[in-house]
Amino acid sequence: MVQLNRQYDRENNTGEPIHVKVVGVGGAGSNILDRVMLDGIDAADIVAINTDVQSLTASVAAHKVQIGRNLTRGLGSGGDPELGYAAAEEATDEIRSVLQGGTVIFVCSGLGGGTGSGAAPYVSMIAKEENALVLGFVAVPFSFEGRRRCAQAEASLARLRSVCDAVVCFENDRMAEITLPRMAIHEAFAAADLTISQSIRSVTGVLQRPGLLHIGFDDICSVLRNGDARALFGYGEAEGENRALDALGKALKNPLMNRGALLEETYHAIVHICGGTNVTLGEVQIIMEELNRHINDQTQLFMGIGIETRMGNRLSVSILSSLGNGAEKPAVQPVQRTVRPVEPQTTTTFSEIKPEAWTPSVQPDPAAPKPVAHEQQHHVAPTERTPERAPDELMLPPIEPENPVRAPVAKTEPKSILPAPAKSQPSAPAKKAEAKQESLQFEPISRGRFEKSEPTIIDGQDLDVPTFLRKNVRVR
Amino acid sequence: MARENIYVGLEIGTSKICAVVAEARNDGTLKVVGVGSVPARGVRKGEIVDFETAKRCVHDAIVDAEEKSDVEISEVYLGITGSHIRSFNNRGVVVLEEGREEIDEQDLDDVRTNAREVSLPMEDCILHTIIQHYYVDGQNGVLNPVGLFGKKLEADFHIVYGIRTRIQNAIRCVKELELEPADVTINSFATAQAVLEKNQKQLGAIVIDIGGGTTDFVVYVDGAVKQSGVLAVGGDHVTNDISIGLKIPTARAEKLKIDEGNVTLGTAFPGETIQLKDETGFAGREIERESLNQIIHARLQESLTIVKRQIEADQNLHYVGAGVFITGGCSQIRGLEHLASDIFGMPVTMARALPMAGVTSAFENPQFSTALGLVKYAHLAQMDRPVAGGLIKNAFQRIRGIFRN
Repeated sequence: MVQLNRQYDRENNTGEPIHVKVVGVGGAGSNILDRVMLDGIDAADIVAINTDVQSLTASVAAHKVQIGRNLTRGLGSGGDPELGYAAAEEATDEIRSVLQGGTVIFVCSGLGGGTGSGAAPYVSMIAKEENALVLGFVAVPFSFEGRRRCAQAEASLARLRSVCDAVVCFENDRMAEITLPRMAIHEAFAAADLTISQSIRSVTGVLQRPGLLHIGFDDICSVLRNGDARALFGYGEAEGENRALDALGKALKNPLMNRGALLEETYHAIVHICGGTNVTLGEVQIIMEELNRHINDQTQLFMGIGIETRMGNRLSVSILSSLGNGAEKPAVQPVQRTVRPVEPQTTTTFSEIKPEAWTPSVQPDPAAPKPVAHEQQHHVAPTERTPERAPDELMLPPIEPENPVRAPVAKTEPKSILPAPAKSQPSAPAKKAEAKQESLQFEPISRGRFEKSEPTIIDGQDLDVPTFLRKNVRVR
Repeated sequence: MARENIYVGLEIGTSKICAVVAEARNDGTLKVVGVGSVPARGVRKGEIVDFETAKRCVHDAIVDAEEKSDVEISEVYLGITGSHIRSFNNRGVVVLEEGREEIDEQDLDDVRTNAREVSLPMEDCILHTIIQHYYVDGQNGVLNPVGLFGKKLEADFHIVYGIRTRIQNAIRCVKELELEPADVTINSFATAQAVLEKNQKQLGAIVIDIGGGTTDFVVYVDGAVKQSGVLAVGGDHVTNDISIGLKIPTARAEKLKIDEGNVTLGTAFPGETIQLKDETGFAGREIERESLNQIIHARLQESLTIVKRQIEADQNLHYVGAGVFITGGCSQIRGLEHLASDIFGMPVTMARALPMAGVTSAFENPQFSTALGLVKYAHLAQMDRPVAGGLIKNAFQRIRGIFRN
């Protein structure tokens, strides 16, 4: 919910500053870190975790952890997630020590390979044990990289979902749509990294910036935690006469946004507007009105406004949202903030199931539903699913051996899960009504017959609104 | 039968759609043979928002013009406006290759192409490349460089561009009615052809066309188009303001604006009211005259100030010698002349199209300035090739270009 107090009241650390750590796992992870470092991020620790020493030394991260010293001897994990997992396990203490003290931990990784797929879930789990909010930002391989790789990614993703508070997926296939086919391959990957980095920055920015209207963890969680999430992010910054619309325009131009067209399909969205002391109500209104054209009636909009003097005359707009199948949306209560230490037993379950976890070869086509045993199928059934996602278990549900099946099934299952939102709808409207009330309602300024036409905005003034109203000319 | 030297100007305006049919006579003058006009629907702020409705209106206007002029219309010169239209000035340079010293037609084309090579957003396309001045080896004041000796040809152009798809809408509307758009031009440029004389262009002049949905303006300096722009605010906004401010229906507000509106403040007696008569026989409400004027004043003062600021920003205001020429339907509002001359600080003329032979009622009404300007533009483009600079030759290519991509 949007809160009007300045300090976000996280139960565990009221008054403490939010400590952000960005952890990159594997080669792709450290590429993302490099990008994050290049772009600059305020007050965040950057941690690189990798098996490959070469890649690790090249990384610009401040903290580096080499995992699998004995297992891989400084080489990569050779695309074997099992090895990646074992390597991480070997360096548990080291990982734990670098993660200590983080309030929000981003785990960035490219799935499909060895270290990323194998170690990222393990790292996330440790992060969770450290009582932090864990957000996974992962890139899923191109479909042309082979089914095996995709299946490994799927398995790892399922694992991450069960550990992290929210996982945001960046599908390379989708990112490729936004870059030109003739673009150099390194540029294409760099573009993907840039997008992820921007997203991380916008999340941290939103969390860290003091705000008139503050956006908290819970808001971010409820927006990002959304089933088979496909992230929508946009960030735009502008100055000058039309900065409000320009900034919003840039944010919507972000490739993941598809010019705002995809916003139509989301259920939650966060908008964070940040600017110097000269942000006007009119500008906020312009942005929100324009944005409201892009979203549907059901979308719950969280609005945050931050005033920072160092922004000067600039104004920035960040939009975060995710596109899910909506199946799990209403069931997840965003108030899941109390993070309890995970029982050690969970860890053992986690490692116990490891052997079967990475057997994608058993199941060559990740898209085709695997012939599963009856009780397994039952386990995935929507009715069972919802309670499984219930807040209390969300931390780290003990993962049964059949768990790996979940990813592929979940992926192909959306149609069968579809009834779920209807079932859990009761909670949604109530929440929506609440949000409607809390989100800032402006006194309606009439545009009369121009209500639905493209606004004419010059010098930050909406010229469709009668001049005498804007200039406060008293008319009887 | 379409006659050989017939030009038809079609303006799809926000308040009315009108087609002017003119005939070029042998002595080089134009004679207006018919004007067809219907109230527009489906057009907002100068752009089509309801395609089918607008198409029907265009059809009616064309039929009206055909009936009045007894000419079968097959080709029109189309005026374009809208908030997406933008412009800038750019210089093109061509250096003649070794061994050649005489500038030829090809070089003129090359220098134009060179000036057009600017990076525009993907969705935009260039509407006009209007020649301002030629320079040969740095020497200015060259009117026509063809045949001159030189090594380097430079030329300043005023380039007008807009969003391709939005321009297409108007063109498609015409095409679907089995009409051939001979050329498209921005309204402000066409209007200037109708209201300005040659010497006024030389002296420097600002033409402001306050129409129903848009305010189009163009600045002439030294006989060349120096700046042009579209502000998507027009008479409709005045009506809308009145409707909101006085809480009366739009149609009533429109009538009130035309019948009673005055932009000058302080002309009404304190407490002077206007009796609103109701069609149904009710004794309508009373409206304070000063309030009405205040609303109109606030809006028009703002619009003109924005235009002035834009012209000032490009530092063109000081080069305007002939003053400001205001035309368009909304220019008929009382007292606008004084308001504008206060704002611009120079002589303001309430302009209408310069007289031509034929239907005289058309020139007396500033509403038709743009449509008349379109036929003048067409005539000019045909007659005066060097000045219009291959506009016609490129017209077909351009329209095709707009559609191809």
